[in-house]
Amino acid sequence: MTLSGIGRVPLVRSILLTVVIWCAVSFIYAPIFSVLRFAFAPEGDISLGAVGELAGSRRVRTAIVNTLIVTGLSIITVNVVGIFQVAVLEYLKIGGRGFLRFAYSTPLIFVSVAAATGYGFVYGQTGALTRLLQSAWPALPNDWFAGIQAVVFAHTFLLTSFHFLFLRAAIRRVDYSTVEAARGLGATNLEAFVRVVLPVLLPTVFATTLLVTYKSLGSFAIPAVLGGRRFDMVTELILTLNALRRPDMAAMLSIGLGIAVILCIAAMQYVERRGSYIGGSKTPVPIERIRIANPVVNVAVHAAAYAIAVIQLVPIALVILFSLAPARSIGTEVLPSSLTLKNYVTVFSQNTAFVPLKNSLLMGASATVAGILISLFVVNLAHRYTNIGTTSLDLSFMVPWILPAPFIAVGLILTYDEPNLLVANRVLLGGFWILPIGYAIVSIPIMMRFLRAAFFSLDPALNEAAQSLGAPAHYRFLRVTMPLVLPVVILIGAMTLNGILSEYSMSAFLFNVNNKPLSIALFEGARSSNPEQAAINLVYITLIMAFSLVIITLADKYGLGGGK
Amino acid sequence: MTTKDWLTGATALLCFLGTSAATAEPLIAYSPQGEERAVWIAEQAQSAGHDVTILAAGGGELFDRILAERANPQADVVFGLIDAAMATLKAEGLFQPYVPKWAEGLPEVYRDDADHMVYKFWQTPVVIAYNADALTEADAPASWLQLVEDRYAGKYVIGPTTWQTTKTYLVGMLLRFADEDGEISDAGWDFMQELYDNAIVADSADAKTAAFVNDEAVIDLNWFGGVGRLAENVGYKAVMVDTEGGTPFIAEGIAIMKGTDQLDDAKAFVDWFGSPEFMAAYAAEFGQVPVHPDAIAAAPDAVRRNATLLQPQPIDWDVVAPRIDGWIQRIELDIR
Repeated sequence: MTLSGIGRVPLVRSILLTVVIWCAVSFIYAPIFSVLRFAFAPEGDISLGAVGELAGSRRVRTAIVNTLIVTGLSIITVNVVGIFQVAVLEYLKIGGRGFLRFAYSTPLIFVSVAAATGYGFVYGQTGALTRLLQSAWPALPNDWFAGIQAVVFAHTFLLTSFHFLFLRAAIRRVDYSTVEAARGLGATNLEAFVRVVLPVLLPTVFATTLLVTYKSLGSFAIPAVLGGRRFDMVTELILTLNALRRPDMAAMLSIGLGIAVILCIAAMQYVERRGSYIGGSKTPVPIERIRIANPVVNVAVHAAAYAIAVIQLVPIALVILFSLAPARSIGTEVLPSSLTLKNYVTVFSQNTAFVPLKNSLLMGASATVAGILISLFVVNLAHRYTNIGTTSLDLSFMVPWILPAPFIAVGLILTYDEPNLLVANRVLLGGFWILPIGYAIVSIPIMMRFLRAAFFSLDPALNEAAQSLGAPAHYRFLRVTMPLVLPVVILIGAMTLNGILSEYSMSAFLFNVNNKPLSIALFEGARSSNPEQAAINLVYITLIMAFSLVIITLADKYGLGGGK
Repeated sequence: MTTKDWLTGATALLCFLGTSAATAEPLIAYSPQGEERAVWIAEQAQSAGHDVTILAAGGGELFDRILAERANPQADVVFGLIDAAMATLKAEGLFQPYVPKWAEGLPEVYRDDADHMVYKFWQTPVVIAYNADALTEADAPASWLQLVEDRYAGKYVIGPTTWQTTKTYLVGMLLRFADEDGEISDAGWDFMQELYDNAIVADSADAKTAAFVNDEAVIDLNWFGGVGRLAENVGYKAVMVDTEGGTPFIAEGIAIMKGTDQLDDAKAFVDWFGSPEFMAAYAAEFGQVPVHPDAIAAAPDAVRRNATLLQPQPIDWDVVAPRIDGWIQRIELDIR
């Protein structure tokens, strides 16, 4: 790697640069290389045997079909619900908009394994809703909520966050005069929405659709918790293959998933590039929400809007409520008859209950700090010197953004399950640090995106002024640049930590007895028939949601969006 | 695995063990005994004059560790891994031949007449048991092969194949369809498919328990000690079936690691550990059924009764061990 003026850079920076390059080689390139090697040449010679064996396995085929069906259905249902939500909030006059907006925003804080466990708690075998439905309809089996329909249902109401974030912003850019013109020409509300508003939204709809596709293809925690007996999606099967000691097949399947995801991202980039077109005038008239004239339609739309809100709020409300209830009321009562803080006391006082939280905080904090340091260094370097060296370093750390987590996890396992010279001939698998390394690797791309934006918004005159006053580079960085980007850094750090608390994909592959994280504890707790364990789970979920709420409110205030 | 690697993942205790092995002080034994049992065995060994430190961990973990340490073995003796694991380690060339003094009188199936390396000391059957509150003796399955019948649909649970118990009964059933070379016939794989289709497939212990709590499952495929534990937790009366065609038994073995620097001490420990006297004492303490006839004779009545309760299914683990991974893969990828 060539860096301009490398001979002049101070010793500290050379050391930092070496460390950062070592990180990229050890934890990004080596794992990718391992995956490719095991997939295509497990015995040293090029072979496509793994493809044949994967194609020959009934369970693999079923998992691929399941994943495709779930993704296809999710795209439809998430778009229907998501577009309807945006119409309700921004296009139509619906009573109780504030409440609906709150309900529709919950997928931002109710994510991943926490959400899956929450749904399992409400709709699962001993769920409150299952009990309620059974009291009306006794023939309903305990495991009615399972398989494709359960996963699609959960996706439908948990993956609308992209619509909430991006589509709402897009509809605000619609020129209301075009809607008025259409209606003046005799179009109904629905026609005006479909013929005038929707075409403007289409690029955004397409982008959110791709995000949903991407999320659904790599869906892991939701099918693992809610899929039920003998239901797998691709990510789960990669984990199974890994456990069956078939690294070649696990690597090949993760490559397949990787290709699907990369295609999605490429399509997304293409749409983003084309999507800059916005119809209408340069000074759009802000959209005015429309009252629905037909009373029947009006009632129907209100009913649907509130039904969706209830579906999204009930699991969260029950989780919080039962987290405050005695464990014995779980699975026996539809609503708890008494409240207590005992479960919270248990989580913070009992070692076994507290350890996963502690592990996740410790691993999350170290991954976040390491990730921030690397991102700051790389972004700062690429910002100040634009050349092939800094650009390729920058791009190297962006690579994990286009690879699904199981791909990187399998790569780390295959690289570090035996002594490796890159890490002083040690074995990382089975140790504490392999999981935080994985967390950091997948967090860095998002950190870099935000940091880059922050750096580009800096006024270069400030740095130049400091330079002309004789301040050396590290001094300028610490006294001029850092104070300006510090709020962004802190917020990104908090968002990353928040994400890691409920991170499931990386965790499921890399955790072990030394570092069992919160997400795995949640997953195991979700399968437990012990009400005490379920109660602890509810406390975990509530804590994760509370933490997310604080972070996202702050992020919103500082204009970072949802960050997901 | 080199000494350096030890430091990476090992706890302080392991580091201590690692260095002590190098200075040839106490004998190091790897064993998947529970903490309490390992402590008791170490105390008994101490009072019999054997200076031994037992590293207790899960069976799968120890197995992986022994394979990983093959370049630099840390253990002197391994005991308590079950047949298939011991057979694999033997096939990997990790053991040292030694015929214990108590080998004489041991039934042939528990001896290692071919290689003189692995000798078994106690056994556990993997059984079919039924909930006697829900099923009569006449309605209960009389053999493993009957499980695929319609009347047992959704009445029994197959656990994760990572469990030794699950592996054992699946292997036991598959072997009934094996030819002389150990190949499973198509009929065998069809049977396996029906077995899974007819079962509740659980992927955790809790999911299995839940199936019994919900009164779905009434037939328990479990190891001997696990049957009583599940029945007690769920609250029913369990009865074990002496099946036609026999019940697969898991036996735990002991062997000396190749390359030990304390061969004489290791031999002395093996002779003491497997002796009928100590086995009978262990049976009295923990209720485990020994395999040496003299030990059984000296064991408490309850243990003696358990020893003859069920007919064993003959299984040659040396032949089976190298095939198990492939079979389990086929079950997981094509049948499950």
